[in-house]
Amino acid sequence: MRSLRHVLITLLVTMLALGTFASAQQVVDFWHGMTGSRVAVLEQVVGGFNEIDPNMQINPVLMGTYEEGLARFLGAYPVGQEPPLIQIYEVGTQAMHDSGMIIPAYQIPERLGEEWDFGQYVGPIVRYYSRDGNLWSWPFASSTSMLYYNADHFRAAGLDPNKPPTTWDEVHEYGLALQAAGVVRDVIGFGWPDWQFEQQLALHDQPYVDNDNGRADHGTQVMWPTEFTDTLFAKWSAMAADGVWLYAGTEYSPNSGFTSGTLTMMLQSTSSLDGIMRTVGDDFEVRTAFIPRFNEYPRGNSIIGGNSLYVSDKASDAELRVIFEFFKYLARPEVDVFWHKNTGYFPATNAALKQLMDEGWFQESPNHLTAFLQILSGRTDNGNVVGSRIGPFVDARDHIRVAMEDASRGVAPRDALNRAAERINVLLQEWLEFAQ
Amino acid sequence: MNRFPGHNILPYALIFPTVAVIAVFLIVPFVQAIYMSFFRISPFGRVRVYTGLRNFEELLRSPEYLQSFLNTMLFCAIVIGFGLGIALFIAVLATQKIRGAAFYQVAFIWTYAMSPAIAGVIWALMFDPSVGIFTALLETITGFRLNFTTDAVGAFLLVTIASIWIMLGYNICFYIAGLQNVPNELKEAALVDGAGPWKAFWIITFPMLSPTTAFLIFVNTLYAFFMVFGMLDVVTQGGPGQATEFLVYKIYRDGFARLREGQAAAQSVFLFIMVASIAGFQIWTSTKRAVYSR
Repeated sequence: MRSLRHVLITLLVTMLALGTFASAQQVVDFWHGMTGSRVAVLEQVVGGFNEIDPNMQINPVLMGTYEEGLARFLGAYPVGQEPPLIQIYEVGTQAMHDSGMIIPAYQIPERLGEEWDFGQYVGPIVRYYSRDGNLWSWPFASSTSMLYYNADHFRAAGLDPNKPPTTWDEVHEYGLALQAAGVVRDVIGFGWPDWQFEQQLALHDQPYVDNDNGRADHGTQVMWPTEFTDTLFAKWSAMAADGVWLYAGTEYSPNSGFTSGTLTMMLQSTSSLDGIMRTVGDDFEVRTAFIPRFNEYPRGNSIIGGNSLYVSDKASDAELRVIFEFFKYLARPEVDVFWHKNTGYFPATNAALKQLMDEGWFQESPNHLTAFLQILSGRTDNGNVVGSRIGPFVDARDHIRVAMEDASRGVAPRDALNRAAERINVLLQEWLEFAQ
Repeated sequence: MNRFPGHNILPYALIFPTVAVIAVFLIVPFVQAIYMSFFRISPFGRVRVYTGLRNFEELLRSPEYLQSFLNTMLFCAIVIGFGLGIALFIAVLATQKIRGAAFYQVAFIWTYAMSPAIAGVIWALMFDPSVGIFTALLETITGFRLNFTTDAVGAFLLVTIASIWIMLGYNICFYIAGLQNVPNELKEAALVDGAGPWKAFWIITFPMLSPTTAFLIFVNTLYAFFMVFGMLDVVTQGGPGQATEFLVYKIYRDGFARLREGQAAAQSVFLFIMVASIAGFQIWTSTKRAVYSR
């Protein structure tokens, strides 16, 4: 009897001790959408943070694709199941702003009585995620699209790998040359096809929606089809008809075609760079270049993709403290450099960028510079070139993909895009009814 | 009035857990869905406007919904019709007196052990437009180049065939069990009376299998309406266009990706009525027509 009581008391004391320990330890759930080779890199970064202070822990939870993560957060919040910290892709920017579920990033240091220099983040990222001059989400994994190409295929077809195509006409010509030489049958695939349409608009200083591309106020209608989109879709259709462009699915689906050598070129996010290089290994030489364009239209810029970090407005001060420490940690040059080198995402801070320059990283791996240089060298002075902000963006992209699938099967440009425009205009109106 | 003499509480206590689980996880959400279907709900749930039957009206008028309905019906018909036909054929073969019959009987059940999502990953990879091995094989044999990411008919067929394939093991399993219950005397009597094996099958075996068939039609209906979700999500995400956006997947896309909860709720009410009436009809006909006793 006595020994039982002993055991019970010991148990009780241990539980109490554990209890106090647990209450000092603050664990913050962090929902993310880093799939593929990027999961391990993210876990390493978070692991590094968790080692610093055992009382401040971030718990990364993979929530599926970006689209699923966004849907899950919006669904979880009303019932109190949302995480304090969530990674949301750029498509969800306006939805998150309108959701009323978040603390705008610039208010986080204020709430903790701290200061933070947002000027340290690189320009394109700040511009994309800012509203009225303030950052609304925390810069993290930013990317843009670029052209990947298989230099060995170029050589085999007698093309100069130092002269990748710069215009769509050249892509088409190169494609026919590669086919004629029997190197490949399909030449180019687009990762995130809907996003590539958005990139083309911005790259030629064309608006997606009105109200300064949805950046001054909510967009009320789409600003296409135009003569430009006719040209674009006609070109894509012609390339598809010649078998040069293969519509090979959404998101990262075309990567397997490129890495296995059945496609010579691919438009894809920089964030796939390290994954692709690891998969390809020494099989062939992967090179990268700016996104192809049409020289007869004005120059704009490529737009930011990837994701940024949002904090739920229900996060407690203790949670917020951990999150802010995590943000500070992410801004450390060595962490940012590690992230960039292992994923292909942009370095987010100027300090990291300087360190990379000083190390000679960009000479060592020029592919890591391509997309960054592309976005730094473009225009920055209006909404068209910074990129659109749309409430029902996820839904709008469905319709864009349908239009592109249609174009790849030879549907006339106007027909394909008119249908998408009609649908998206309805969505924008519905959003306006509720967003105000 | 005492339904269970001598046991006042026990029977109710025993069924309480089941009833509680059903109430909490099925009845409550279902009532909520019905309630929500009368509202227009803003993308973040902050604004709810009572709109009466507007969600239902919009659905009935929506060409996308009609298309999704027709696609789903066609899909169900093919999955059930071909699925059961093929399963019965294989089951009959596997129960013949052949060497290794036991091996075949087990081997055919394997497909069911795989979750639809995993099967989806495999099928999507096999038919990948650029690196898929079956895409290449199909082209070598027929000269037709399938790209299920742009070809609506191709995507529909791919999803349909994959769905039949997954369910095949389950169906075969039940048919084998059913076939083993058909008494040999009856078949032998028919053969002695001069019926060929084909005729003996149709007049003896097939009617004797009708309880199994009725049950399988019911299970496969539920499968085709609801359980294909995992595979659709992995293989096509409802595309290309909305060719494979079947009713259950459309509810998910509209409710969660497109943030239209009210309309999605209305769709789930419709889907419930549809499946409930189909299931009711099947149970009614099968209890009337199936031969349960010998």
